[in-house]
Formats: sequence, C-alpha cells, structure tokens
Amino acid sequence: MIEKTRHIPDGKKERKNQPVSHYLEAEYLYFPTTDLRCPAGESCVIDGQYVKVGELIGTRHGGFFDQPIHSTVSGYVVGFEKKVHSSGQTVDCLIVKNDKKYVLHESCVSRTDEEIAALTKEDYIQIIKDSGLSGLGGSGFPTYVKLETKNKIDVIVANGVECEPHLISDYKLILERAHRIIEGLTYAMRAQGAKRGVVAVKKKYPELYEVLENARHSFMDFDIEIKRVGNHYPQGWEIETIKAATGIQVPVGKMPSEYGVCVFNVATLYGFYRAVKRRMPITERFVTISGNGIKTERNFSVRIGTPVRDLIEMCGGYTENDKNKVVICGGPMMGTNLQSDDLIVTKTVTSLIVLDEEPIKTEPCIHCASCVYSCPVDLQPVQIMNAYKERDKDALAVLNVNKCIECGLCSFTCPSKIHLTETMRQAKRFIRK
Amino acid sequence: MNYAKQTAPYVRKENSTKRMMVDVLIALLPVVVFAIYQFGWDAVVRLVLSAVIFILGEVVTTFYRTKPHPSVKERKEKFKVRFKTLTINNITAPLVSAIIYALIIPSNLSLYVVAVGALFGILVVKAAFGGLGSNIFNPAAAGRVFIGLSFTSQFAYTGIDAVVGATPLGAAKDALLNIPNLLQNYTVLDLFLGNIPGSMGEISALLIIIGGIYLFARRAADFRVTLSTLVSFSVMMAIAAIAVNGNVVDIVVYQLLAGGLLFGAVFMVTDPVTSPVTKPGRWIYGLLVGSIVAFIRLFGSYPEGVVFAILLANIFVPLIDYYKWSKNRYSVKFIVGYVVALALLGFIVLVGLGGLN
Ligand code: SF4
Ligand code: SF4
Repeated sequence: MIEKTRHIPDGKKERKNQPVSHYLEAEYLYFPTTDLRCPAGESCVIDGQYVKVGELIGTRHGGFFDQPIHSTVSGYVVGFEKKVHSSGQTVDCLIVKNDKKYVLHESCVSRTDEEIAALTKEDYIQIIKDSGLSGLGGSGFPTYVKLETKNKIDVIVANGVECEPHLISDYKLILERAHRIIEGLTYAMRAQGAKRGVVAVKKKYPELYEVLENARHSFMDFDIEIKRVGNHYPQGWEIETIKAATGIQVPVGKMPSEYGVCVFNVATLYGFYRAVKRRMPITERFVTISGNGIKTERNFSVRIGTPVRDLIEMCGGYTENDKNKVVICGGPMMGTNLQSDDLIVTKTVTSLIVLDEEPIKTEPCIHCASCVYSCPVDLQPVQIMNAYKERDKDALAVLNVNKCIECGLCSFTCPSKIHLTETMRQAKRFIRK
Repeated sequence: MNYAKQTAPYVRKENSTKRMMVDVLIALLPVVVFAIYQFGWDAVVRLVLSAVIFILGEVVTTFYRTKPHPSVKERKEKFKVRFKTLTINNITAPLVSAIIYALIIPSNLSLYVVAVGALFGILVVKAAFGGLGSNIFNPAAAGRVFIGLSFTSQFAYTGIDAVVGATPLGAAKDALLNIPNLLQNYTVLDLFLGNIPGSMGEISALLIIIGGIYLFARRAADFRVTLSTLVSFSVMMAIAAIAVNGNVVDIVVYQLLAGGLLFGAVFMVTDPVTSPVTKPGRWIYGLLVGSIVAFIRLFGSYPEGVVFAILLANIFVPLIDYYKWSKNRYSVKFIVGYVVALALLGFIVLVGLGGLN
C-alpha cells in the first residue's frame, strides 16, 4: 500500500520466551582458516596436538590485517575439512575433536583493576587485535582497525537494537550479560578516550532498559546513558542508531568517526570485556534456529565452531513436505541464502532460518511509490529499476544506487512483489563494470 | 529435500496490487449505487457496457502481447502459456477504469458513443502503451475527452460544469457573480447530497468523500495528490472571487462541490500509474491538476475541465520524475517553488479577471 513501511512482523515475542539451551556436546568443532575478508590463512598447530580453550591455533590473513583463530574447546587437532561459512562460501576448516573437559589455556588469566587502569590506547589496540575480536553485529570487520582511527571520538554508541526480524541473540546477551557489556563499554571508552557512552535499545523492550540501567549504576565514574530508541526497521542500521542515540546525523557514505562517533555492537563490547578483563577471546554465542521449515524452533548458546547440523538435529530436523527449503544464515531481510546446511557457527552467525519455499508471483509496477516512501536512504528504487532496464549508467549514478544498503525494505513493501533489492544489487554491479 | 535459491529479503509484506484495486472498487461502490438509484437502467447499461469493453480489451490485448517461447509450437500449448500470464489484475484494473469512465459520462449518452470512448481508452491509451503500469495517460479520462471532442453534439449537457465552465472569457466574471443566484436554486446541501443534474458519479459529494476516506484509510491512494489538487483549486477560486468582489466562501464551496472536481480529485488523479513517484512530485502534480481545472473553468469552455486537466498534467509526469531533479525529500527549494507557483498562478487569475482594475 502507498505508505512508508517501517515495521516488519518480527516473531521475536515467541522466540524471546523460549529458553536457551546450552549445547556443549559437539563432538567436533570446526574453525575456518579463511573467510570472505581473509582469502588466506594458516594454522600454527599440527595434527594430533592437544589444544585448550582460548589457545591460538591459527591466523587468517586479510588484505591489511590479520585475524587470530582461537580454539573454543579443549581436545585434539584432527585435520582439515571443507565446510560452509556464513557468507555461503565453502572454506577450509581446522577440526578439533572435543574432549568435553573445557580445560582453560594458561594465558587466560584475569587482569586486575590496577593493570587495566595502566593500559594505554596502544595496549588496548594490541589486546583487541590478539583477541581476534571483530564486528559481531554482522560486519565481521576487525575491531582493532576501528580503534586505530586518527579522529577524535567523543561518544561511543553501543548498538543493542537488533532490528532484523527473528533474531534475538543480542536480546538474550543483554539480558544475561548486561553488567559485562557495560564494563566492556567502559573499556572501549577508555581505549578511544571517549567522554560519553550511549547504549541504544528498542523502546518495546523495557526489560533490557532495566537491566542495563541497573548495570550502569556500578560504573558511575563514566558518563553512560541508556537510550530507548524506535522499534522500526532498520533502526539498527549504524546511521539510524547514531541519529536516534545521539542526534548526530552522519551522511550516508561517511565514516561515523569523522563525526566523533564510534558504534560497537553490544556483543562486540562483551568481547571487549572478555579480552581486556579475562584475556579471553569470544568462545560462545547465541544462535536461534527458526522458520516454518524446521520442526521446533529453539535458541541455543553454543561454542564457536559448532556445526549447525547438530543444532538442526536437536530441533527435530526439517518439516517433511515436498517443498524446497530456503536456508538462510542471518535474518530474513538481509541474511545470506545457503545452498547447504553444512554451516559452521562463526562469531557472526546469529541465526539460521529455514523456510518452506513459496513462489512469489510478480506483477507489473504500478508506480505506487511505496518503495520510494520506504527507502531509509531516500533512494527511488522504482526509478533505479527503470534506469537499470535501460542500462543507463548516468541515471544510475545520479540516482545514487551505490548508497543502497540492501536493507530489503523496497522488495518487502512492493505490492506487485517486484524484487527491487536484487535489482539494486545488479545495478550496483553493472555500474562498477 | 532440495535447497531453494533466493536472495534477501525472503519475506514480503501482506499486500498486493490486487488488494489495492479491490479497495478502489469498494470505495467506488457507494457512488455506483447512488448512480443506479438516480438514473436506473440508464446507469446500469452504461456501467456494464464499459466494464465489458474495458475488461475484454485488456484481456485480449494482454493475451496477444505475451509471446510464447519459440519452442512452443502447438496452438493449444501457446494458448495455455498465454492464458497463464493473465492474472486477476487483468480484470480488476480495467474494471476500475471502466467504472470511473462510466461515472464521468452523462446518463443519457448514446451507447454507441459510450462504446467508442471505452474502446479508445482501453486500446489506444492503455494497451498500446504496454498495458498495466505502462500507460502514461489515465484511460478513463482519455476516453472521456476523446468522445467529448469527437461527438460534441451528442452531449446535451445539463450538468453544472456546463453552467460553470461553458462561459466565454468575457462572461467569466458574470458567471462567478451569478453563483449566489444559482445557490438559491440548489442549496449547498443539494450539492453535497447529489440532488443536482450532472454526470452519473459526479453528483454526490458526500458519497465521493466517504469513498475517499476509505481509500486514504486503506492507503490505496495517496492523499497528497488529492489534497494538493483541492488546495490549489480552492486558492485559485478564492482569488477569482476576490477579483470579482464576490462572496469568497460561497464561490469556493460551490466550485468545489459542483461538477467533476471532487470525483476527479479522489478517484482519478490518485491513479498511481499516472502519478509521479515522489512525495514532492505528487504535490506538484496535484498543483498542476488543481490549477488547470480552475483555469479551464474560469477562462475556458470545456465542460470536461477535470479530465482535460488530468490529461494535461499526465504529460508533465515524466518531467516531474526526471531523475536529475526528482527527490523524495521535501527541500526548502520545493516548498518555496510550490508557494511561488501558487502565487504566480493566482496572480494570473487576478489579472485575467480584472481584479487589478
Ligand atoms: S534495499 Fe536499498 S533501495 Fe531498497 S529500500 Fe533498502 S536501501 Fe533503499
Ligand atoms: S516497484 Fe513496487 S513499490 Fe515501487 S512503485 Fe512499483 S509497484 Fe510500487
């Protein structure tokens, strides 16, 4: 219909109330040695070697950065196998056979408050670099690179919005670890020299506000504010979160750091806490298995490296009908379509959604402009589509197709069910040629 | 189990083009019922005739526009492939056009002329441009203008547009000043309820407003175009009233309620296919329609002022949507431009009616 679409039925209510199962029984854990950002990688362990929780077992090499890989269980290294990464690629994975003893590595000793107080910006960068922390909101971008910015940061925004439907992993994390998230935020503030910290959570979750507000009172030396922001999609998009949390308008395509803002996902801040205080990398994360293609929907807390097939099995497997299954890693608006369920839980895997395939029949565009009204970047998807059909490069450039964040709202809202978002992607590829 | 290939997003909103069309049909229903109540079989026959022509025209042309793959040789197979491309929208969309078309013609217009207009609307204006979603002009409006121009003598016009609109330039002032007298024949309440002569659907303002409220509440139409049309039209008429020293309220209310303006503003300019696709664009489009209707009524002599205005404004839509300046944000430039345009057009009305003398 002709209106700005901002709300998407998100199914979070049901999922929120479901308990979280801790799953520690995985027989084998898999650690990708390459991924989308890091085309090369190596392991620093040999077959048969005994490794412990938190031990360095390899490194991924990106263009201008390295990412260490840590084991999340204790056990023996037993070789390599190809598995599916959250980006949909098949990658080499180092296998560790789990002895289920969860022996902690010697390096994982907590830092005292005095030690932490003495840390300099360089120390923080090194600590975060060694912990292999990366943007856990989904970007997977190495966090230490963000810390290295030359710009002066005044305020750090903790993004706890998680606006994609179906996902509740940040929600659960805040509920269970609010205190540590705030502590992580204070480390991030110290690392960046930021005066202010703002935690953004959705208005419709007062319980999150409560726990964060309580946690905040233990850190009265820091200027931290818990901000309740809108419930709509894509409120979790960096630019909208910054706007809602601090009032600062960062133009699309600019770095937030140029405006004195730095955004971290709450899970990333939890990672700060682990790295700085505990000298530990992230070893666990929440994963939701949902969708109408799966027998029972469940939430899990699992070790990084757990094969998703184990979890699917615990959910009772797929529903049995003759429909094809759409397997999605991530949320239903922006997630990646997988052609296999042989997926490994990496740090950025938040959920697996399995849907029965329903054919979507498209109709001709009727110029209703719902897509134009709904686009959060103020693009005109219908005009971009028409320009792309004409293969008109100039028009595509003027219409700013490159600013599209692929949020999916235009496809979602179109009454003719035209797959505009896909057209945006094709148009982007086309003008890059 | 097989893996399906799809790309994000994987979910879609619960809406459809079909629902939008059906909403328009529902909104038209009270007006249709009233037309049948007022004009009886005359209305029924004309409604059915236009519906049949529009739907058949759409179905047949869509059917033959689809080119089955060259590998499909057999006639029966070809037929099947073509048949499959037809959707419910090939019925609802032309039905909307047909009903609107039937409602803007006089109830006693000869059936032959009705048919010619309908055929022109569906075949030349819609199908020739590529069918649903591709037409530049509003099919109903174009059909109406076509017969209006080709069969002028057929229109034994008793409608108020005839009184309001068919006045030569020099007499415009007298006509405007005459409105209070007219209002003694027909009260504002009559205008509102539809106790007046006119085209079938245009006469009951109340039912049109009810339909409009439904449309806007269901978001099946964009209120911006309608509002902009009515605002710009009222401004022009108010200035005209001032120019001739008339009663501003009387004249504006009379002009708003009489004739095809309200019907056009609610059901015709809101047609998304022929509207621009940005919010400012839609305001500009409404401004064009509103002021052209006012100009035709004040200075022209076409009883079909509204449909004419819509067709004229349709010409500007691709220009409004031109990618170099179309923006969905309201900019200061746009607001200033809108107000200045309104003021300029108003000034022309003022001068044209001798308000400065
Ligand atoms: S996918 Fe791109 S074009 Fe579509 S609404 Fe999102 S940002 Fe706008
Ligand atoms: S592409 Fe879809 S949403 Fe956009 S104007 Fe066309 S019909 Fe409306």
